[in-house]
Amino acid sequence: MENHLTENELIEYRFGLSSQEQQSISSAHLAGCAECRERLEKLKKKFAALDLLREDEHVSEELISQITAQARQPARVKVVQFYKSPWIGAVAAVLVACFVLLMSNLNTDKSNQRQFARDSKPEGRIVSKESGVKGQVQADSPTRMPAQDTNSKMEMATTTETAQEEATTRIVAKETSDLIAPTKVRAHDVTPAEIAAADASKPIPEQPPFAPASAIELVTLPRRDNVQLTIYNSADLTLVRERRNLTLKKGWNWLQFMWANTLIDPTSLSLEPLEQAGKIDIQQLVFPARLRELGRWLIRSEISGQVPFEITYFTSGLSWRAFYMGTLSQDEKTMKMQGYVRIGNNSGEDYDNAQTRLIVGQVHILDEIAQLAKRQYPYDRPALGIERDERLGERAAEITNGAVTLNYIWAAQSLELSRKDIKKEGLSEYFLYTIEGTETILNDWGKRLLSFEAEDIAVESLYKYDEERWGNQAIRFVKFTNDDKHNLGQTPIPNGDVKIYSHADEQSYMSYVGGTDIKYIPVDEEVELDLGPARLVEIAPKLMDFKTENYIFDNRANVSGWDEIRVWKIEITNTRTLPIQIEITRGFGTAYWTLQSETTYEKYDATNARFKLEIEPRSKHTLEYTVRTYHGTREESLTQ
Amino acid sequence: MENTDKSLIDAHRRGDPVAFGELVRRYGDSVLGYLIRMSGNREQAEDLFQETFKRVHEKAHTFHGPQFKGWLFKIATRVTLDGIRRGKRIKAVSLNQHLDCDNPNGEQLATVALADNSCNPSEQALKVEQTEQVRRAIELLPARQRATLILAYYQQLSYPDVAEVLGCSVGTVKTQMFRALKTLAHKLPEI
Repeated sequence: MENHLTENELIEYRFGLSSQEQQSISSAHLAGCAECRERLEKLKKKFAALDLLREDEHVSEELISQITAQARQPARVKVVQFYKSPWIGAVAAVLVACFVLLMSNLNTDKSNQRQFARDSKPEGRIVSKESGVKGQVQADSPTRMPAQDTNSKMEMATTTETAQEEATTRIVAKETSDLIAPTKVRAHDVTPAEIAAADASKPIPEQPPFAPASAIELVTLPRRDNVQLTIYNSADLTLVRERRNLTLKKGWNWLQFMWANTLIDPTSLSLEPLEQAGKIDIQQLVFPARLRELGRWLIRSEISGQVPFEITYFTSGLSWRAFYMGTLSQDEKTMKMQGYVRIGNNSGEDYDNAQTRLIVGQVHILDEIAQLAKRQYPYDRPALGIERDERLGERAAEITNGAVTLNYIWAAQSLELSRKDIKKEGLSEYFLYTIEGTETILNDWGKRLLSFEAEDIAVESLYKYDEERWGNQAIRFVKFTNDDKHNLGQTPIPNGDVKIYSHADEQSYMSYVGGTDIKYIPVDEEVELDLGPARLVEIAPKLMDFKTENYIFDNRANVSGWDEIRVWKIEITNTRTLPIQIEITRGFGTAYWTLQSETTYEKYDATNARFKLEIEPRSKHTLEYTVRTYHGTREESLTQ
Repeated sequence: MENTDKSLIDAHRRGDPVAFGELVRRYGDSVLGYLIRMSGNREQAEDLFQETFKRVHEKAHTFHGPQFKGWLFKIATRVTLDGIRRGKRIKAVSLNQHLDCDNPNGEQLATVALADNSCNPSEQALKVEQTEQVRRAIELLPARQRATLILAYYQQLSYPDVAEVLGCSVGTVKTQMFRALKTLAHKLPEI
């Protein structure tokens, strides 16, 4: 058949995107064209992948109740927020400034005219106002204008200049000291050295300013010189200590900082001078009304110049997790293990060249930092009941003390590419990992660093079968101990995810065996990694016989005791090419039982017996046992 | 007798607090599903979800029917597109999310494999990988195309309804849908 349908036409047909007429044409063509039908089927199959995302989502009752609680409040009247549209504010500010200047000029003109009308000797006034400087110069000027006009223009010109001078002076005064009265000197006549000298001699007013009158008076945070991060893994918490050089002036200083788009907890902010502490006093931290995500420190300084400060605060969004990769040898008797530390930064802030320390251990926090950071205003506690991660705090681990430094063996190609050493040391209730040197951790980036590497860890591969715990399937475990004998034991192993691979063949092809998460493993502690169901080992228990006997009757001829006898046969099939060890645990539902079997067993607990077997490669083994359980008054016969 | 959407929104306007809750329950799952697919992030979707119903509450007086669902999705779409634009600057952090830059799916693989032992772990790992591929392919679509695809395919709205929600013509909807499918045809995994 000619003119097969194109891929576009097939897509349009499949999703009903073409016109009715085109749909009919395509439909007719498909009815008679096997090739196009086949292509359509392939296309359908391709787009069936979209259904992988077709899972149902459910809204939590908590979310619904939050929304309905919001809805109980009256609907808000929309307010234009100028700070959200800075250009509106800027335009308004320019208009207001123009209006004020216009009005002041008009008033000046009017007052000058009135003054001229009242005063017959304008020059004298000018001289007295300007300390004789301008007035005299202008009065002695050889190019005199006709009397009345000249005087009027001189007065106006001088007043305008005076206004400009005053304006300049105000700015100088604000930049040097907030509350010192503006000195009536021309700005361009004063050198910075003179200003500094004048500053040093001026007394600092006792009363702090209520608030900065304008942005000119504010000092904003400069770039950080260095930063130290201490990241806790049990909670979404990071302590940031940073050092910045602030330029202070003598007197009262307002220091403004913002934390918009970050997850910093503003209530945790602390500022300390690292030098000249006796001359610098951090008075208060103010969160101005109606200004979101902004705070101002009021600092009283007896000195002018640069001072190093340390700023500390808590932030959220930085996290670290341990992560392990194990590679089993082909005979599954040894394993190579590599431990990594992953650091992620979603805090909204870039941290360049940060000295990074990682803490293992549980911290107790009242409120999540992320919630504190998201509050509209930095006071009061965040709303309760909006925690999203219930797993927080569950990763508690036992902490041991001790200090160990791991040395790694690697061939460094260059200094820049060499791996960072991670030092580990016990710290009171915590365990501290310090990453050598500094790390740049950009926002939205993550970084993985090697923590340790151990070769030839002797491991035991073990299969377990326990219907009560895992149903009708054997589960595979890998067992080792965190001690010297296993080439480990130098440090506790923090909780984290483990992925186990194995060498599938002699060509070193790898296959994924399974993964799990491990709890904190102290030194000398044994660990069993649960690798999930084993596909190549099958266990099939069969009940071969069941009977009851030894009935006991009470005075009323009712049955008061009896025995139940069950004969079980369990067939174990090992389809692997390696011998395996397997533990089969059988539960009897009662503590009164006796068991007979040719295979040795141990009483695992009151109600369970455990068989330990070794099964040869590609073989079947049958385990048989007879269990007698005692019921009612027959239980006494067992205890006697 | 079950209340109609119109009667519920009228009751809400009169100040009945139960009516609004009923509306949220009625359409919540569907809207949340839409927002999760649009944003690709459950936490962000929940924020958008709250914002959507907040706007429904504030704009209830502007609803004159008859299709509440279409009106609701229109608001949800606007909120989402605004949110996605803003989201480029403000990134929400999911506390459930563990960052692994080297292998973003690695943990999911292990988690799923452990959580569900019902079938073969390698099949499960493959399924997780494919699901992630589909999610990524959809996320990479331009916002309008993504909205069209999700509304038409996942929310099963007709093309005229999608046009109503997105405020454009049916022809535009079909064009957007076609472009989205054409892109996906080369990016979806074989299953």
